[in-house]
Amino acid sequence: MEPIHLFDLAAKQSHWLAVRQNAVSQNIANANTPRYTAVDVEPFEAIVRKTTLSVAATAPNHITSTPAETLTARPRKSDGWGTVHSGNSVSLEQEMLKAGDISRNYAFTTNIVKSFHRMMMTAIRG
Amino acid sequence: MIDPLNASLRIAGAGLQAQSTRVRVVSENLANAQATGTTRGADPYRRKTVTFENTMDRALGASLVKIKGVGVDKAPFRVEFEPSHPAADDKGYVKMPNVSLLLEMADMREANRSYEANLQMIKQARSMQSMTIDLLRNG
Repeated sequence: MEPIHLFDLAAKQSHWLAVRQNAVSQNIANANTPRYTAVDVEPFEAIVRKTTLSVAATAPNHITSTPAETLTARPRKSDGWGTVHSGNSVSLEQEMLKAGDISRNYAFTTNIVKSFHRMMMTAIRG
Repeated sequence: MIDPLNASLRIAGAGLQAQSTRVRVVSENLANAQATGTTRGADPYRRKTVTFENTMDRALGASLVKIKGVGVDKAPFRVEFEPSHPAADDKGYVKMPNVSLLLEMADMREANRSYEANLQMIKQARSMQSMTIDLLRNG
């Protein structure tokens, strides 16, 4: 049976947001570390595009790309607002904006899951 | 790698620890801003500095911040003319600590700001976790 696509997408999105929250935390913790470069994760669109183009395994010895593998968001160099003299490229303001964005999107995703779940329960209960 | 939200709690915790050590060093400097020597021509208190470094935590799969070391400021001491002071040299000059109150205040403000940012991260990771747990309610 085909898994319900919305739940799958919402789970992926919330995992991505959690990884991004992790990256933002790292940046903020290292906001005063000399020669630290700010990191960020791959945008969600890129991850979705990558996962939809995965190759199907038709034989038992084929290597499949599991969703967990394709979703490991690697930290990458972010487009920082500027680098200070010590070589640190973290801007606390920028990180706070990112954090607000993450929080908002996470609430959005969980609320979508909640309402979709409620709709399904209504359909089941009749 | 553990759950990213738990990892971000730990990372922010390490950040809090680093920044609180920095505040401690600032308060040491401020408390000793007038601490001169006691013998003739002795050196006074030397300003302490704190440096951070980021270390890759393999179990966590993330880079934590930690204190690299507490060093001393090599800046020259201020001298004041005070012949009756026990630490005065032959010409009557006393070496005062190389602590600048303005610099320490700026450093303290920055530490405070970074501490608040880390605290905000902890709050947010917690609220995200509770949002997920709330999915189980009214199910």
